[in-house]
Amino acid sequence: MSHFTVNVMRLAARYPELAASLKAARGEVLTIESARNGSPSALRAGRWIHSSYDPLREAETWADSQAPACHAGEIIVIAGIGLLYHVEALRKKLCPDIAVAVLIPNMDEFHDVLSARLLGPWSEHILWLTGTPHDIAQTLTAAGQPLRCLSYTPASQADVDFHSDFEQALRRGIARQAGGQLTIALVGPIYGGSLPIVGYVKRALETLGHRVQWIDHSLHAASYEMMGTLKDVRNRQLMQSRMAEVLSQWTLATLAESPPDLVLSLAQAPLTLPVLEHLRKKKFLTAMWFVENYRHLTYWQQMAPGYEYWFVFQQGLCLDAFRQAGARHVSYLPMAADPELHRPMSLSEEERRTFGADVSFVGAGYANRRRLFPALLRHPWSFKLWGNEWDGAGDLRSVLQLNGARIDTATCMKVFNATCINLNLHSSTGTGLDPQADFVNPRTFELAACGAFQLVDHRSQLPDFFTDQEMVSFRTFDEVPGLVQRWLGDPAARQAMATAARTRVLDTHTYVHRMRDLLAQIGLSQPDRVGALLRGDRQQEALLSRCTDDPSLESLLKEFPAGQRVELKDVAAKIRSKGTTTTLKREELMVLMLDEYRSETRDLL
Amino acid sequence: MWSRNMLPKAAGDSRALLIQLARLGDLVQSLPAIEAVRDRYPNRPLDLLCSAPLAPVFEKARAINRLVPWNGAQWRAWADEWSRNPTATLRSMETYLCALGEAGYDRVYNLNQHARGTLMTQLFSTDSIDTDGAKRADQEVSPWAQYLRKVAKERGDNRVHLADAWCGMCGVKPRGRAPILDPQKADLPEDLAAIGERQGLWVALVTGAGDQARCVHPDVWASWIREFLAHIDDGQVVLIGSGHEREAGQAILEATPTLLQGRVWDTIGRTTLCQLMTLLGRCPWVIGADTGPLHLATAVGSRAVGFYFARARVHETGPYGEGHWVYQYDTQAQPDSWPIKESIGLISGRARRAAPGWSLWNSRLDRWGVFFDDESASQATDQQRAAVWQALSPTLAESVAA
Repeated sequence: MSHFTVNVMRLAARYPELAASLKAARGEVLTIESARNGSPSALRAGRWIHSSYDPLREAETWADSQAPACHAGEIIVIAGIGLLYHVEALRKKLCPDIAVAVLIPNMDEFHDVLSARLLGPWSEHILWLTGTPHDIAQTLTAAGQPLRCLSYTPASQADVDFHSDFEQALRRGIARQAGGQLTIALVGPIYGGSLPIVGYVKRALETLGHRVQWIDHSLHAASYEMMGTLKDVRNRQLMQSRMAEVLSQWTLATLAESPPDLVLSLAQAPLTLPVLEHLRKKKFLTAMWFVENYRHLTYWQQMAPGYEYWFVFQQGLCLDAFRQAGARHVSYLPMAADPELHRPMSLSEEERRTFGADVSFVGAGYANRRRLFPALLRHPWSFKLWGNEWDGAGDLRSVLQLNGARIDTATCMKVFNATCINLNLHSSTGTGLDPQADFVNPRTFELAACGAFQLVDHRSQLPDFFTDQEMVSFRTFDEVPGLVQRWLGDPAARQAMATAARTRVLDTHTYVHRMRDLLAQIGLSQPDRVGALLRGDRQQEALLSRCTDDPSLESLLKEFPAGQRVELKDVAAKIRSKGTTTTLKREELMVLMLDEYRSETRDLL
Repeated sequence: MWSRNMLPKAAGDSRALLIQLARLGDLVQSLPAIEAVRDRYPNRPLDLLCSAPLAPVFEKARAINRLVPWNGAQWRAWADEWSRNPTATLRSMETYLCALGEAGYDRVYNLNQHARGTLMTQLFSTDSIDTDGAKRADQEVSPWAQYLRKVAKERGDNRVHLADAWCGMCGVKPRGRAPILDPQKADLPEDLAAIGERQGLWVALVTGAGDQARCVHPDVWASWIREFLAHIDDGQVVLIGSGHEREAGQAILEATPTLLQGRVWDTIGRTTLCQLMTLLGRCPWVIGADTGPLHLATAVGSRAVGFYFARARVHETGPYGEGHWVYQYDTQAQPDSWPIKESIGLISGRARRAAPGWSLWNSRLDRWGVFFDDESASQATDQQRAAVWQALSPTLAESVAA
């Protein structure tokens, strides 16, 4: 009998449908060749997916590097089939209470694998995952066990879309299930565009039930600005960088007061690389949401190895660039809106007169806007320009509001709500539309969340967020006057589109959605740490369920209300609160002893 | 779950445990208290609980019945593990505690003034347990603990040595003689085997210190070595230190003239604790700051010359025993000059003198334990120590006086 027949017979006992599919598959995806050591190796599309010298040794090395991270009770999900050498090696290294599952994106490839090698009994202890990425993710999340995803890259990269879809579906599934409570330290910038986003992120995390400690460096903005008045450039830079260092240490000291589960920074947060490395040594988990165009602000190149997780709002080249700079984990996380703030408003007639217009734009006077906006003057419709940095804008001064003062969020919302057509032109230092239109700005989501109609310059990601029935975009600025004319004349259609866009934002593009995704991504990567917390493993009821045969511990935990996350320090505090004259049980003494050692590991400074 | 009832103490056996979780220096300086307790209660076995990596120091100590090595790293790991699996973690801890000893102790002497020490006292006591250990703590011990806290905080003119204060904490009087540890007979690496075996004036030089502020700069040691080897024809220097001090050792060697390097033996980071004790036991002199190896050397019979500066104070933590020397810097600032020639004169027996900015103290023993004398010692010093003992342990003080 051929290898294929024997292997399929072995599979058929547990996976009859899979066996049937395999019999129907054609194969011919892999080219099998002998490696130097005589074992079969393989190429896919002309590229080796296993070593051409010794695939067994290569698989052993891979398994050795992965096995230490795998814990009892987890399901290890492997992306990349190859000839399954790596799966076999890992399965043999792990104890039986760790399940190993393999994703099968391509039945023809699996057919080739089963034809090339005779699988041993170990293969009976593998979960073979077939179907759409969404179905597989659903099955896995329904299992309720911690999941750890591993990738055997040489073999997985040929099915990158499948694996990407799977990971996204899994992340969403985990995010939906998340019920646990994290404590998150949120580190914001001293000033700048990412400062308001800190507030949105904080609210979102709290909405999700997490405890958030905002380490607010904007309190020091006045001092920082004052240093900016120094005329000597070297002195100015020296003082400002010293201040950033002090604030970095201040962050460290604050974290030491109450160590969180996650330190989440927003772009421009003053955390230096040495401090981040120190935090890493002390086992703090750090993440950065880099809500800036990576081409314009480039300090991430030095900081990339500092954070454990990076989240960026650009894809493709951006992700590659971060990885090349040393980022360990980098994921895509687009911008969003905060419906608490970005919402439809009832405005008085007076407010409508003041803040309203046929066409409005809110934003700073970047070069491309200065160059393009004069084309919006001298039309039958009204045009208002709001925002700062418009000095020397020539004709545009006639439509500039409030003398080009910076406007606050509340005013901004009134303008959005009072305007018939809000123009949303992404900034660029060039003279036309942004030539590298690979991200969508927060304004797009904010306008939509307000139920305000907008015309936005086309972005490559835009179709991922909004359909043509929800958002109108233009590919050249010449289209804008015509679009304004057309949509001004059809208020009902404008309203319908704006309402659809708002519905879409509320459904999928709020900061709550983004934070859920961000945490799920980290949880997926750390199933035994953040993942466990998100699953609710530290909630009182979950802890209780794990100590049913231990009455003394059970009675300790029952002193906490159901639904509350209970940590060692909480139990210790409860014991200490009994006072100095109470006779303690042995278990209570041991908990106090453990807590002494716990506090030692967080001795940051 | 394990309960106290499952591990009753053996009938008729009275057992004691002394807890000392501090670093090497303090652990060695606990030896006078250990021996004094053993002298006072010769029929009661005394066990010692100490940090596991340091346990080999007392492996052959006659006063100790059994060593209980405490694995702090394991407890840290359990602290991380607890939330993941509280029941299993508690069980592991119970198993660990059971493996440490078969019974609770009738008497626990806790030399550590931190929460961990207090909790251990309660965990290992057969007496009833309360949250602050106050009920368990002897009335005789508490005043000494308070006294040490006061000294640490106020740094007054204290003349009671820490090792003797620990005797007081244990409710025993100092023995009036220095304890001696049997040097371990550990095999040394082949290239170090000749240390102390050849003729010559062998000096162990302790290069580092646990506290960065107490480290003597490698340049100072290099100068000391040059001066010593230039003036003492048969002088030999053994560099002592942990792996962390390799760089400092390298700097010292590089600053030593090539012709003299054959008389400098670099053992830094190359020895186990037992091998270190063997090495120190072969050197009649040891020189260094207030560090663990300096105290260990005195315990295996070497004579010490200490450079005490920063927060180190001769009267509190000087080398225990008779005939040791300490140069004490006059202020808490970092010294700007060092008693190099003076200390060499002392070791070679040629001269005995203080140095600018440094006072010179010689250790002596009497009924109250160790004290340090700068040859201006008056009766007031003796009276001051007697007054402390009378105030804190009146019964013991009377028996000492008698």
